[in-house]
Amino acid sequence: MSMSWNEKLFQVVIITILCLLSFVAIVPVLSVIATSFSSRLPVDMNQVTIWPIGFTFASWEYMIYRPDLWKSFGITLVTTIVGTFLSLLITAMMAYPLAKKEFMLGKVLMIAAVITLVLKAPLVPYFLTLRGYGLYNNVLVLIFPHILMAFNLIIMRTFFKQFPAELEEAAVVEGCGYFRLLFKIVLPLSKAVLATLGLFYGVLIWNQFQHPVMFLQNPDLFPLQLKIRQFIVDDSVMPDMNAGVLPNYNEYTLRATTILFAIVPVVAVYPYIQKYFVKGALLGSVKG
Amino acid sequence: MGKLAFNMRKYWPLYVMAFPGTMFFILFKYIPIGGSVIAFQDYSVFKGITGSPWVGFKHFIYLLEYPDFYRVLRNTLIFGFLKVTIMFMVPLILALMINEIRHSLLKKGIQTSLYIPHFLSWVIIAGIAFEMTSLSGLVNTIRDWFGLEPMLFMQMESYFRPMYVLTGLWKDAGWGTIIYLAAISSIDPEIYESAVVDGASRFKQMIHITFPMLLSTAAILFLLDIGNFMELGFEHVYNLLTPMTYSVGDIFDTYVFRTGIQQARYSFATAVGMFQAVVGLTLVIVFNRLSRKVSGGGLW
Repeated sequence: MSMSWNEKLFQVVIITILCLLSFVAIVPVLSVIATSFSSRLPVDMNQVTIWPIGFTFASWEYMIYRPDLWKSFGITLVTTIVGTFLSLLITAMMAYPLAKKEFMLGKVLMIAAVITLVLKAPLVPYFLTLRGYGLYNNVLVLIFPHILMAFNLIIMRTFFKQFPAELEEAAVVEGCGYFRLLFKIVLPLSKAVLATLGLFYGVLIWNQFQHPVMFLQNPDLFPLQLKIRQFIVDDSVMPDMNAGVLPNYNEYTLRATTILFAIVPVVAVYPYIQKYFVKGALLGSVKG
Repeated sequence: MGKLAFNMRKYWPLYVMAFPGTMFFILFKYIPIGGSVIAFQDYSVFKGITGSPWVGFKHFIYLLEYPDFYRVLRNTLIFGFLKVTIMFMVPLILALMINEIRHSLLKKGIQTSLYIPHFLSWVIIAGIAFEMTSLSGLVNTIRDWFGLEPMLFMQMESYFRPMYVLTGLWKDAGWGTIIYLAAISSIDPEIYESAVVDGASRFKQMIHITFPMLLSTAAILFLLDIGNFMELGFEHVYNLLTPMTYSVGDIFDTYVFRTGIQQARYSFATAVGMFQAVVGLTLVIVFNRLSRKVSGGGLW
């Protein structure tokens, strides 16, 4: 069926608007890329837009040798991996009994978990309590507070409840205990929900800012986000200048480089997480 | 109690499994809530909760007389309003438009470029906003072409709220379309087919079928959004704020962080936090009840 003239116009208008919008969404990133690969002079003279001028790796060559940036990157990488693994483990271990009728505390614990979704402690007592646990200036603060999210717990419990009982019953007859049931039978068949929740936990830990900014004062412990924030708000991104040779970068190109440094890993894993996040967004949107 | 002991003995592995999670809720959620009592004390770190003197509602009374409090309250309400209006509507409109694209590769490209910012942290989003509006940033480069003086938008009070909305949309508007697109894909195709038979154009189908079918989804999301009115995102606002923009950008979350954690006015900031929590809790409960009435779906 051929489209009428009006129909075509409608299509063209919508495609144009959307292409413009996605271009606007990408322009800031393009501008950061352009700045990070440009020479100092064109940047100072406001010539750079979304294409590098005086193409150079000067900023990258300087940043790549900054041990503090790599240290922060390492802290973020390790805490994200360990934190995601630990969170999934503890969430699954709690969700499994909650899905079992024979577990008498199930109802009480479920209500207790849901309450934490709406009743949150004010910031200051939260801060004082965690400091009391020794989490002040301690990298573990990047992991422990995120180990269990009530919302993820509810999702996983719902999933376990729908798990076909026959599969477990067969194993029980063979004398399987609850631990082996969970780890040998149920979890291997829950890869989709584990991947989706792992994505939630992973993105949360990688991108987190509030906990580190509250608890970490020691720059040696800064995760990547805090390091970049430091570079943005003060001039610590620039090296101490010796008189003489002027480098081919300035604070703007260096900041752009650090921002890009943090974006690259996210964009690199994007294709792999893509198939899980639609499901994740659907679950997450109910949370609001 | 005997029954529970029996149950515990019989199914002990279940109790072992639930133990770490239960401890987490107690240690990280419930004990801090209990710690809120310091709002009624002149809390001092050295004396602790047991040793600090009780002062009743002193900090709450002080707060109500404090001009800063009203400034922060006003900013919080304004941001909340922007969140449930503009920032709520854009994903719905975007989803309707994305749905009209037939070309699947083009659709995918557009979706990807709108989704990716969601995975960037607020530090990065705000960092890019600062870079873009810096003296040698893209915005001022373009102003320069037209012979305009450079402006530092992030330091100007009048641009703070637009920047809050723009960065918020940039990060999450595309992401917000996913739920609507899923709702659209579950619409019965027969409805469209019979509309085509009746001669409805694509535009008419969008206005008279797709949009009305999305309204129930939108209604739930809207009520949940209003319920979360007070949760504006500490990380979002904090990363955009500079001392120059406190007057228009300071919200409860950032104010409590500055007074409570950075200036160590523990009891006062706890009182502010409690005020915020009580208002927030009331909103969540009221609007969750409404959302269940409207649609049968809610937070719980």
